[in-house]
Amino acid sequence: MTKTNTNEEYVEYNRNTGFFKSIAKLNLHAKVSKNLILLGLLFLALLILYPLFWMVISSLKSYDEIYNKVWSLPTEWHFENYLTAWSKGISSYFINSLIVTLSTIVLVVLIGSMAAFTLSRYKSRWIDFSLIFIVGGLMMNPQVALIPLFEMLTWMDLINTRWALILTYVAFRLPLTIILIRAYFLSIPKDLEESAIIDGCSEFGIYSKIYLPLSIPIIMTAIVFTAFFAWNEFLFATVFIDSDVLKTIPSGLMNFRDALRTDWGVLLAGMVIASIPMIILLILLQKYLVRGLSEGSVKG
Amino acid sequence: MREGVCVIYRKKQVIPTLFILPSILLLGIFIYFPLVQNFYNSFFDFSVFSPTKEYIGFAAFKYLLQDKVIVIAFLNNIKYAVVSMVFQVAFALILATILEDKLFRRVAPALRIIYFIPVMISISVIALLFGFIYNPQMGLLNSFLELIGLENFAIPWLGNATASIYAVIAMSQWQSIGFITMLFIVAIQKIPKELYEAADIDGAGKVRRFLSITVPQVKETMFVNTLITITGAMLVFNEPYILTNGGPGFSSMTLSVHMYQQGFVKDNMGYASAVATLIFALTAIFALIQIKVSRTGKDE
Amino acid sequence: MKKVPGLLVMLLIFIVILAACNADKGNESANSEDTVGNEDIVEINFFHRWPNEPRKSFYDEKIKEFMDENPNVKINVDSVLNDSYKEKIKVLVSGNKLPDIFTSWSDSFAQNLVSSNKIMSLNDVISNDKDWSSKIIESQYGGFTFDDVTYGIPFTVDGKAFFYNKEIFKENNIAVPTTYDEFIEVLNKLQEAGYKEPLVEGLTNTWAISHYLGTIFDRVVEPSILEKDYNQETGEFTDAGYITGLEMFQELTTYMGDVSTAIDHEAARNMFGNGEVPILYMQFAEIKMVEDIGDVEIGFFNFPEVSNGKGNQTSLTGAPEGWMLSKNAPKEAVEFLKFLTSEETAFEFTKTAGQLNAVKGAVTSENVKANSLEAYDIIMKASSTAPWFDNAVNINIADIFMRGGQELATRQTTPEEILKAVQQEAEKLKK
Repeated sequence: MTKTNTNEEYVEYNRNTGFFKSIAKLNLHAKVSKNLILLGLLFLALLILYPLFWMVISSLKSYDEIYNKVWSLPTEWHFENYLTAWSKGISSYFINSLIVTLSTIVLVVLIGSMAAFTLSRYKSRWIDFSLIFIVGGLMMNPQVALIPLFEMLTWMDLINTRWALILTYVAFRLPLTIILIRAYFLSIPKDLEESAIIDGCSEFGIYSKIYLPLSIPIIMTAIVFTAFFAWNEFLFATVFIDSDVLKTIPSGLMNFRDALRTDWGVLLAGMVIASIPMIILLILLQKYLVRGLSEGSVKG
Repeated sequence: MREGVCVIYRKKQVIPTLFILPSILLLGIFIYFPLVQNFYNSFFDFSVFSPTKEYIGFAAFKYLLQDKVIVIAFLNNIKYAVVSMVFQVAFALILATILEDKLFRRVAPALRIIYFIPVMISISVIALLFGFIYNPQMGLLNSFLELIGLENFAIPWLGNATASIYAVIAMSQWQSIGFITMLFIVAIQKIPKELYEAADIDGAGKVRRFLSITVPQVKETMFVNTLITITGAMLVFNEPYILTNGGPGFSSMTLSVHMYQQGFVKDNMGYASAVATLIFALTAIFALIQIKVSRTGKDE
Repeated sequence: MKKVPGLLVMLLIFIVILAACNADKGNESANSEDTVGNEDIVEINFFHRWPNEPRKSFYDEKIKEFMDENPNVKINVDSVLNDSYKEKIKVLVSGNKLPDIFTSWSDSFAQNLVSSNKIMSLNDVISNDKDWSSKIIESQYGGFTFDDVTYGIPFTVDGKAFFYNKEIFKENNIAVPTTYDEFIEVLNKLQEAGYKEPLVEGLTNTWAISHYLGTIFDRVVEPSILEKDYNQETGEFTDAGYITGLEMFQELTTYMGDVSTAIDHEAARNMFGNGEVPILYMQFAEIKMVEDIGDVEIGFFNFPEVSNGKGNQTSLTGAPEGWMLSKNAPKEAVEFLKFLTSEETAFEFTKTAGQLNAVKGAVTSENVKANSLEAYDIIMKASSTAPWFDNAVNINIADIFMRGGQELATRQTTPEEILKAVQQEAEKLKK
């Protein structure tokens, strides 16, 4: 699909220049070492893919076969493991994760882009201060805030609700999102907005009709990053949510394991279901992800 | 409708403030306030359900110095940092260089995605999967060792006091290597091509090109990645919490798991806050260095 | 400019999500006030600790049944697992949001809850409905009665004993041990017979260690000293018996194998169920699970007597678990409690879950197999019961013992070191 093209082009563009020269230089020695390195690369790929492959294969096995025939393919393919996993709890974790992730994305993008708009278009002492305030947020980590947040959310009566996750996720994702979007906003040419003002557009109009539409690529990046974070976050999800009906996938899987006892096939099926959305996201949107990495370079 | 949106806000001062306010509020409430609150909490003794907090001065910090578990945990965090440096900074840089080499331009895009897949998968899925891999009875690792005749090396990885922390660390490397590699790839792609072409004309070998062009050019990224890795190692929670819960005994305890245990299992919220303060101090040092360095980087 | 609809759509999604969140919160929150539009409906918040099967479905069905019979009642159910449950219920008690009906362990755990003054006294309920209350075995009320006031209705009964594989014992001519020394001999014989780890245990579950230690201490430490030490205000843990006890546990870990610190109790149970190991220290509640794994012929024996032990030599570790009501619970919650502890429910419960219960006539050969009946008999005849150790002492003390137990198994520490740490902690807690 489209994403592979862009990717190839990217590499193409980078590597075109020296390509023919290098072909000429290839001799036997280089070929041997090239193949050795290639072997190493493939081995590494195997090391990463095999456990995942095993997870998928084993999710279609019965407990006995997982336990006794670790390496073999299932003699009988238990596709019903997926149905069981779905109906025994994964569906509710999945929906919770979906609600939390989508809400976080919408709020982060909306609030973050609004802040970035102010930060990129206005200058004053207060705005400089705000920028430092927001960038400083990158330094904070969830571990340190855990206990005070727990107290605060309890006091606000938000503990054990989805809001506990959504609000904290949004707060912790905002700094990076604002930095990414602000940098992009700064690159938008001024004459565009001037024409908009002549058109009779207000500040809000400039934000919603010019800046936002022009920034779709970076917003996609912010969405990918936020989705990845919110879908996989574990610590807050474990501490702030007790109730099984409200758990998201990462913390819910722990309950799922305890509840299932030896139903390993079903557990593994649940694990596969939990991973699929993010892998799809990776394959479809990798170019946005790479862009974010190159501009943000802060671990999710 | 469209005009309506445009004329609602005329005053220029209102919009910028209104736009940035939600971000400032969210960060203030959910990031900065908890930080201050955590410092405050460190001087008190309280539990989740106690209505009052008892002032104890520096007692919690004094206890921090006597607590043997803190030492074990801190050493484990250091081990985490050192191993991660080797794999995620040194090895990842080499891997990125190889992947960006024109010899592998056909396989590189696919490999990049493969190496990146574990990054996108939830840590709880990965930890559960590695629970299967390290399982002493049917685990993939031990049955693989038996398969190749090394059954003497097959030990109950997570139940062995010496091996457990390394088993946990190994899983982290497996998961994160693709992430750091991708950051390096992005950095390498930004290196001006002329530099390499000049080196080609000089007839420089691959190793020299790597040492004299790639390494100096990605120095800043290397530095940032080092800090990301070290900060991450100081904070690590999910992996040991899910795989071993710090056991057997305290042998795979880390600072964050200790904090969680003290606060949410043993209900010593005050002491847990002191541990969190320690974690904050450790990471703040690295974060300050990071900010300083990225500033100097921008001056170029 | 044509992106405005996009923005609107985004806002719309946002609003829908907000609405969804609010709606969900309303349904699941612990408040029974939102009876919008229908004032006759009484809501009962029901909180238990079995989000896992088979009990989850069992209670879900019972709730439905009760709601069908009582159309004016709406029951909101929530459940979290064991450790989180302990945590959660504490938070709920302190936050004034106690559910109307919830499960509780007996003795010290119950006492802690009762001390909050938010638990309903059940004396009147018990005396006003003798037909129902007399069906519950009297002796089991003890763990829920403090200063002559009963705060809980016991429901499940349990006990901890060594399960052994009768066939393996027979093959190797091994008799059931009656003393600790005989027990060690048995373990040695089994090792000679080729069972490398005859007494496997899943030590990653630290509660499994606490069950061992609790029973051992009950055998080797004088009851009066135990009582003093288990109380947070007076605990010192200076008795030499604790060292003896920890040494005994250390000795037992040598028969559990290296694998024990890497597996959980469930893996150990599977090994026992598949006939791979001859002995495992288990709860009677696990009988059905073992029977479901394979057809091992199970026998039981209590933790054997310890010669020179200063403690209680025949006590059985295990305590009942039951239901409590919040002081403010509506009268319908009382009805629901009676429904949950009725003979019919109890009979069906034991049939489904395999766990024994404290309701007379609800454990018979019709709903359990012979093994469970034998266990039931042991529980009923026990001279005295020892509480679950992790519930009996402060969690900080229990944690040192339990992690210490793991370290004993991996040979990283000594009983003396553990006890020293315990004494320091006890000193700290006294303040």
